Amino acid sequence: MRFAQAHKVSSYLTVGSAYLALVSGGGVSPLIALLGMFGLIGSWFWEPPRVRVERWSWAFTALSLAALAWGVVSGVATGDYLGEGAGFLIVLTVARAFTRRAAKDWQQLYLLAFLMLVAGSVLNGDLVYGLCFLAFVVSTTWTLILFHLRREMEDNFLLKHADPRASERVEVRRILESRRIVDRRFFVGTGLVSLGVFVLATLMFLSIPRVGVGFLFRGKGGLNMVGFSDGVKLGGHGRLKHDATVVMRVQVSDPRLRGRNAPYIYWRGAALDFYKKGEWTRGKKSPETRSHIEYTGPNRQRHYLLGDGGQLNAEEMQSRRSHAVRQEIWLDPLGSDVLFGASQPVAFEMDMPLRRGRQAQWRNDEVRVPHDGSLHYTVWSEVEMPGAIDPEVLRAAEADNLPRHYDEAYLQVPPEITKRTRDKALEITAGAVTNYDKVVRLRDWLQSNMSYTLDLHDSGGQEPIHHFLFERQAGHCEYFASALAIMARVVGVPTRNAIGFLGGEWNEYDKYFAVRAGDAHSWTEVWFPGQGWVTFDATPPGEVDRLGRGDSGWRASFGRWLDTLRFQWSKWVIDYDFYQQLELFRGVGKRFKGGARSLRGGWNTIERWVIRRWPWLVGGAALLVAGVGLWWWQRRRRRMPGMDVRAPRTRERSELAMLYERASRRLARRGHRRDPSVTPRELARDLAERKVAGAAELAELTELYYAAAWGGLATDDMLARARTLVTTLDEVREPPLPHPRRGRSRTA
Amino acid sequence: MEGVVRDGASDRASGLGPRASASKQTLWHRLMRRLRPPRRLSFTREGRWLTFLALAIGVAAINTGNNLLYLILAWLLSFIIASGVLSEVTMRALAVTRRPPPQVFAGQPFLMEIAVENQKAGLASFSIEIEDLLDGRPLDKKCYFLKIPPGRTQRTSYRHTFARRGLYRFDGFRVATRFPFTLFRKSKDVEMASEVLVFPRVISVTRPPPAPRARGAGPSHRLGRRGEFFGLREWKEGDDRRGIHWRSTARTGRLMVREHEDELERQVTIAVDNSLPQRVIRALAAGERLREDAPLADAVERTISHAASLATAYLEAGWAVGLAARGARLPLGVGRAHLTRLLRELALLPVVTDETPVAELDPRHDRILCVPAEFGASGRPGADHVIHC
Repeated sequence: MRFAQAHKVSSYLTVGSAYLALVSGGGVSPLIALLGMFGLIGSWFWEPPRVRVERWSWAFTALSLAALAWGVVSGVATGDYLGEGAGFLIVLTVARAFTRRAAKDWQQLYLLAFLMLVAGSVLNGDLVYGLCFLAFVVSTTWTLILFHLRREMEDNFLLKHADPRASERVEVRRILESRRIVDRRFFVGTGLVSLGVFVLATLMFLSIPRVGVGFLFRGKGGLNMVGFSDGVKLGGHGRLKHDATVVMRVQVSDPRLRGRNAPYIYWRGAALDFYKKGEWTRGKKSPETRSHIEYTGPNRQRHYLLGDGGQLNAEEMQSRRSHAVRQEIWLDPLGSDVLFGASQPVAFEMDMPLRRGRQAQWRNDEVRVPHDGSLHYTVWSEVEMPGAIDPEVLRAAEADNLPRHYDEAYLQVPPEITKRTRDKALEITAGAVTNYDKVVRLRDWLQSNMSYTLDLHDSGGQEPIHHFLFERQAGHCEYFASALAIMARVVGVPTRNAIGFLGGEWNEYDKYFAVRAGDAHSWTEVWFPGQGWVTFDATPPGEVDRLGRGDSGWRASFGRWLDTLRFQWSKWVIDYDFYQQLELFRGVGKRFKGGARSLRGGWNTIERWVIRRWPWLVGGAALLVAGVGLWWWQRRRRRMPGMDVRAPRTRERSELAMLYERASRRLARRGHRRDPSVTPRELARDLAERKVAGAAELAELTELYYAAAWGGLATDDMLARARTLVTTLDEVREPPLPHPRRGRSRTA
Repeated sequence: MEGVVRDGASDRASGLGPRASASKQTLWHRLMRRLRPPRRLSFTREGRWLTFLALAIGVAAINTGNNLLYLILAWLLSFIIASGVLSEVTMRALAVTRRPPPQVFAGQPFLMEIAVENQKAGLASFSIEIEDLLDGRPLDKKCYFLKIPPGRTQRTSYRHTFARRGLYRFDGFRVATRFPFTLFRKSKDVEMASEVLVFPRVISVTRPPPAPRARGAGPSHRLGRRGEFFGLREWKEGDDRRGIHWRSTARTGRLMVREHEDELERQVTIAVDNSLPQRVIRALAAGERLREDAPLADAVERTISHAASLATAYLEAGWAVGLAARGARLPLGVGRAHLTRLLRELALLPVVTDETPVAELDPRHDRILCVPAEFGASGRPGADHVIHC
């Protein structure tokens, strides 16, 4: 590849990968992103001699200024300074790409590309950024090496010292067109270098201590995603969609809960206790989440949820964890600070934010941690396996032993609940003695008489639960959960509305559940004294999870493989933290220890083997030493002055040099032999002074020969020109001249 | 080139300028050279920028906890490390040699050829700068090699002019590179001592008219190629190969040449007054900068230059030329080899006080005395012509 072409291609790869890293996050206006792409493509062709770049530089300066003004105004108006700044960066990059001329323009282009990459790190946390980063690392290595050579060439190249006249620069353009400087080996070599840089960067990334201090401001970690709302509002119209965007990934320790056929897990997040006008919220009287805190690191805490129980000692804490199912959860930003856990979480372990200004109160056994970006934490849960809870135990629970505030919070029924709804609840539970029986009857009635639909229907001013029960008789999970919770409260059973996710797609590659936005679900929690909160789901089974565990076709399988990549990216890059780092180093340390142990064992075996065969080994070692010594001595001897017996290296002769030789031989036949002390240029000048026919052609050929032999240049054009010149010289007819020296001796 | 450039240590002090520098090669300098770090590293403008960016990204990463910023920081740091490794690889296994021209004259530009051999088996070296080290300091000229393929040698040359005569000691080379990313300039000094003898400046001069008594007065001892056959002698370096007497050579097994008595009696001794006052010599030895006495020192240099120019002019005209100075003497001789001997003698001619007299000149030859115009010293011999320089 020609040098200039290689430099241009690699430079555009660098800028292009940085541009993609910035825009693929979606933080930049699509119009700017599109214009930027077309601009960069157009700038590829915008260069001399096609265009006189300097003529148009004023237009791009004006464009940059206009973009700046627009960015400032738009930023103030929308408050999205980051997005507007990124847009301005794209405009600047395009303007510079169009006005590139000298080395400093390329340099500024690289700086802008780097800034785009940095801006992309804030606006784009997706795997695409990682791929663009890899492309940027590889292409930047090429680009900067080529740029270095180009600039050094322009600064240094090439002083001719072959004769006494003043030194002059060789035309750089010819070197830029040369194919000899960057060849395939160059690209392979620098490609390996960039791979090395990437590996080194990865090792450094994993090793740099994660000590976030946040003394100025905490950055915006990522963009909010959709699918989960921290509250329930019934009503409205339209159709709910099954959004397959993965919002949470969970690795579960219990093998019974893993795999495509594992029972569905309720990933509990928030619990809402206050219902009014079709909306569930957290009431002011709802009990606060009681927890016992264990400090496991400087900024890391383990919260044991106490429910209505007392404080725990170390043994109890250990026992709780050992009897629970451990889950490692990577949660993408959802616009809510609630943490999720399987069924009934008993403990959460996570890094606490350094500043707690925004922290909400924990209520209803929820755990909330403010996080702008994705979050990694650990949960221990008591997972209710199907049929695990004995109904008789729940029937036996004392119903009238309510803790303080529970009646106000979990038995609240708003006055707008219609008489018909209340009567219906009483009618369904008539004859049922225990709370458990009442709830089961209500759940069964709902599942039998109501149907599931994703189509939303406006209640036309009616109370939403009444509308659901008596008018439409169909709804989605929130209707079922709300109806069960309110009807149970009507008959005196403490309930709350739980929201979270159900199930998730099983990823066979990395063994985790990928919980999607469409897995969002709502169910009811019923309180039983002595047993705590028990999950009841009134939504008809089979209708709940349309997304299921995911298809088994190749497309779904490929999607899961991509998600594995995203998960690894999220796990090892986006959410990589100090504790993960510690675990990694501990793991490496253990591997080393294991390796050292096996090495010691191996050494003992070798020792025994050597002791048994030592005479043979000593003899063999002596022979080996003698052989190596002989080889070294011969090598050294060869390198001594005058002892190099290798064949002398024959100098490669370029085609241009051979053409010059042909012309020299021709000239010698015509009587113009070049003495060894005469340089080709001197000969050409001498012939020109003597006005010998063909002197001009020879002078031009000599310069081409110099450029090829000493300047390392031999383009196709030059070769073609040299051939023409030699042909012209061959055709010159001139009577043979006497040799100058011979002529002089004759006259003497 | 023989007798002009020698690898290894100097065996003789040089003239005014070089002698001062040569005397500085003290134990301290040698010690400093031993203690010198194997590589020098300096930031380029781009390197300073990159370091600043790395610091800024590091602060931002620690502050925000954004792992992608940590990733960029890690890349920047590994980029710097890769830069160091690659520059080391490109500078490894390079053999540098220099080849000066056969004769170097003060005040005249010359071309010094620098050859770099890449001794690596499979890796090319890129963007190599070579600077010649003279008395431990790089010359203001450098040679640049864009690419040296593995196992190949590339050559280029730089143009330089030495202002003063004398023996110049090249210590070695400074091999430097800014490869691969122009972030740092890494250099190392390679020791390869050699010396370049710079002959006095030769200018165009007019020979004084021959002294009247010399023309045909005495017997002819001048040996030339024409005239009466004088005898045979063994060939020595500088003799014309055309004078070889092949029959005698075949008989004796040694190269023998014919000697002829020259047709013309053309012999001249050029005397040079290379004296300076004691205080000036002391100041020069101490390496001090001359102020009022600078014209004196310059005048001596001019005198030596004039003597060299005269000697060249006489020898080119076929005269036998001898040299006399304070503390130095060269008998009559002819030919190119003698000119080289003479120029060498003048190049290395030290300045002394006028306590050392100039040897008496043979009155049978033409005698020319070159003296500095500014300095009236004692101990000057009588001469046919006295030239004040």
